Amino acid sequence: MNNKIQRVVILGGGTAGWLTAGIIAAEHHIADSKEGFQLSIVESPDISTIGVGEGTWPSMRSTLQKMGISETDFFRECSASFKQGTYFSGWAAGGEDYYTHPFTVPHSYGETNLAPHWQRVRDQVNFADAVCPQGAMADGNYAPKKISTPEYAFQLNYGYHLDAGKFAEFLRKHCVEKLGVTHIKANMQSIRTAENGDIAAIMTDVAGEIEGDLFIDCSGSRALLLGEHYKVPLRSVNHILFNNTALAAQVPYASDDDEIQSFTLSTAQTAGWIWDIGLPTRRGIGHVYSDRYNSEEIARKELLRYIKATAGEQAAADAMVRKIQFDPGHRAEFWHKNCVAVGMSAGFIEPLEASALVLVELSAAMIAEQLPANRQMMDLVAKRFNNKFLYRWDRIIDFLKLHYILSERTEDYWRENRKASSIPERLAEQVELWRHQSPWHRDTSHVDEMFPSASFQYVLYGMGFETQPSATQRRSEVEALSRAGSLFQENARRTEQLKDSLPTNRELINKIYAYGLQKI
Amino acid sequence: MSNYQVLNKTAHADTKVITERSAEYGDNVKFAMTFPLEFRNIQSNYPIFFSKDGDTGQFYPVALFGFEEKENLFLSDSGWDATYIPMMIQRQPFLIGFQGPEEEKNAVASINMDNPRVNTEKGEALFTAEGHQTEYLQQALNRLEAIHTGHQHNKAFVAALLDNELLEPFTLEITLNDGSNNQLLGFYTVNEEKMLNLKGDTLERLNKEGYLQAIYMQMASFARIRALIDKKNALLGKA
Repeated sequence: MNNKIQRVVILGGGTAGWLTAGIIAAEHHIADSKEGFQLSIVESPDISTIGVGEGTWPSMRSTLQKMGISETDFFRECSASFKQGTYFSGWAAGGEDYYTHPFTVPHSYGETNLAPHWQRVRDQVNFADAVCPQGAMADGNYAPKKISTPEYAFQLNYGYHLDAGKFAEFLRKHCVEKLGVTHIKANMQSIRTAENGDIAAIMTDVAGEIEGDLFIDCSGSRALLLGEHYKVPLRSVNHILFNNTALAAQVPYASDDDEIQSFTLSTAQTAGWIWDIGLPTRRGIGHVYSDRYNSEEIARKELLRYIKATAGEQAAADAMVRKIQFDPGHRAEFWHKNCVAVGMSAGFIEPLEASALVLVELSAAMIAEQLPANRQMMDLVAKRFNNKFLYRWDRIIDFLKLHYILSERTEDYWRENRKASSIPERLAEQVELWRHQSPWHRDTSHVDEMFPSASFQYVLYGMGFETQPSATQRRSEVEALSRAGSLFQENARRTEQLKDSLPTNRELINKIYAYGLQKI
Repeated sequence: MSNYQVLNKTAHADTKVITERSAEYGDNVKFAMTFPLEFRNIQSNYPIFFSKDGDTGQFYPVALFGFEEKENLFLSDSGWDATYIPMMIQRQPFLIGFQGPEEEKNAVASINMDNPRVNTEKGEALFTAEGHQTEYLQQALNRLEAIHTGHQHNKAFVAALLDNELLEPFTLEITLNDGSNNQLLGFYTVNEEKMLNLKGDTLERLNKEGYLQAIYMQMASFARIRALIDKKNALLGKA
C-alpha cells in the first residue's frame, strides 16, 4: 500500500487558503508530474471571502519573502501600508490616556531589563518612549524605512496593514503562476470517507472527485471538514473575552495625500473598542463589542461618533456599516485524522492583537515543516500540532485578556472583565508575580512563544501597572543601573535621528509606486 | 543654493566661469556619479562603485575620491591631481533643465547663477563680444549632452545588472598607518563569482550592449583603492 503523503488538498480560497498554499509550496517543490508532490486548492466560485483582519505581524515579511514575493509588487497590488504596532487610547482610564505597543523590543533587551529602572522615572516619560524609539513615530506618521532600504529590511521593525481581498487575489496569482499550485473552481458537495475514517476525496459539482492524502480546511467559520464533517466542537471563550459582534466600515480620505497612520489605532468604548487601520486608499474602521453589554444601536452610535470626529460629518453619513457576529473561541482540536483546519475554521477571536493572519502563517509553516512522510506518521504530527496550537490559543487568550483586566474603566463591561471568575488562572498568577518582578526572559517558557516578554512589558506599563521595587538589592540590578541612564539617553538620541531621517508613510508609499524598493 | 537660468547670450553676455579646482568651489566631495562612457578614464584614476540615490533608491555608478564626507583626496592647494576629472565634476555650474509640457519636454542648457564659480570678473567667458559661443561653452554643452546620454545609459546598465542579480553590498575596512580603523559603508559592487558563472546567452547580451566591458572596468578599478589609501596615509603623515 502506497501511503506516502503526496497530494495535499486545500478547501477554501480566502486569505487563509492562499496563504497556506503559498507557505507550503514555498517549502515543498510541486512536481511537474502526477507522481510527485501535488498541492491543489478547491475554491467555490459562489462564496465571497471575508477579509479577516487587515493587520499583520512583522512575521509576514519573512513569510512573503520565503514565497519569493517582491515586496514592491505586494505594496502596489494589495494597497499595503506599514504597521509599526498598536496605539491604545482610553484603555486605562477612559479619558485622554493612551499608550503604544511598538513592534520593536526595548533597547538592549537581550542584556538589560530597563523596566525596573524606568519605574523611577515613570512620572516623566511613558514606558514605550523611554525604552524604544518606535512609539514616537505614531505622531508624525513616519515610515519604518527609506526608499533606499532594501525590500523587507528596515530601520524599525514593521508588519503591514493591507486590503485582505486584494491580498487573497495577489497570493492566488503568485501561487498559481509561480509556485505551481493547482486552482480548482468548484463547490464541494459531499465527502467520500476511507475505511480508517480519513477523508479519501471530496466530491464537487463541476470538477468531479478530488482525492487527497491530506486535506486542509480553510473553509472559514463553517469549518466544512473539521466542524461539519468530523463534528469537532468549538470551544467558546466568551466567558473570558466578551466581544462577539463587530460593525465594520470603510472610510475614504479627504484627499489623496492625507497622512497614513503608522499604528493600528485601538480606542476603548463603553463595551468594546474601535479599530482604525490606515491603508493608502482608505481607512478601515470598526467597532467590536459584546452584545451582552451593548445594543447594536448604541454600538453603531459610538462608531459613527468616532468616524465623525476623525473623518468628518459627511464620512459618517456615508458610512456603509457591515455587521459580523462571531462566537469567540477555537476548535477542541485542529488536526483530526487526515484533516487540519487553518484560519477561521480553526477559530476566531476579536482582532485586538491581529492574531488571525499570524495564526495562519504559524499553522501553515508547521504543516509545511512537519509534513508527515506517510500516513503512519501523521497521527504523531497531528498530536504535536494540536498540543502546540492549543497552547498558542491559550496564550493569545491570556494576552488579550490582559488588556482588559488592567483597565480602571467603570462601565459594567469593564468591571465584569476584571472579575476573577473571568480571568484564566495562569494569567492571574502571572499578574500577581509581576507586581513584584517585571516580565523578562524568564517569562518565556517556549522558544517560539507567540508573545515575547517585551509585549507584556509594553501592555503592563502602558496601562499604568506598578511593579514594586525588589526588597533586596541584586548585584545584577546595581550593574544594570549604571547602564540604564546611558541606554535611556541613547534611545532618546536615536528617536530624534529617526524623526530627522525617515519619510512619512505616504511619502514612502508614493515612492514605492514610482521607483520600487531595491532587492539589495 | 541654486538659481538656474536658461543660457542666453544677452542675459549671460558678461558671465564668466572660474575653472580652477578647489574646496572653495565645491570640489570637496567624497564621490561623484559617473557613466560607462567615461569608465575607461575613470578606472585608471578612481575606484568605481555603485551607490543609491537617497531620494529614489535607484542605483548609479560613482567614482570615489575619499573615505569621509567632504573628503576629496585628489584635491590639494595645487588643484585636482588626476589625469581625468569626471564629467559630473567638470559640468559645474551647468545643468540640463527641462522645459515644456510633460509629454514633449525639451532639454535645455542652464546655469546655476548662485554657484561660486559664476561671476563677471575672472574665468572663462561664455560668449564672445559678437555674441557667439566661446570654445569653453561649446565644450561645456557637449559635456552636458554626454551626461544626458550617460544618465540613460546608467539606467539601462543598472537594470541589466539587477536583472542578473550581479550587484552586492560592499564594505571596505581599512586600517590606516596611524592604527585607526575606517569603514566604507553604503556602496555596492559587481559580484565577481556571479560574473564567472554567467552563461553564454547572458554574456552575449551583456557584451552586445557594451555592459561586459563596463563591468570589467569597474572590477579593474578596485586597484585604485590602494592608491586612495596611500593618499590618505600620506595626508596623516603630514598632519
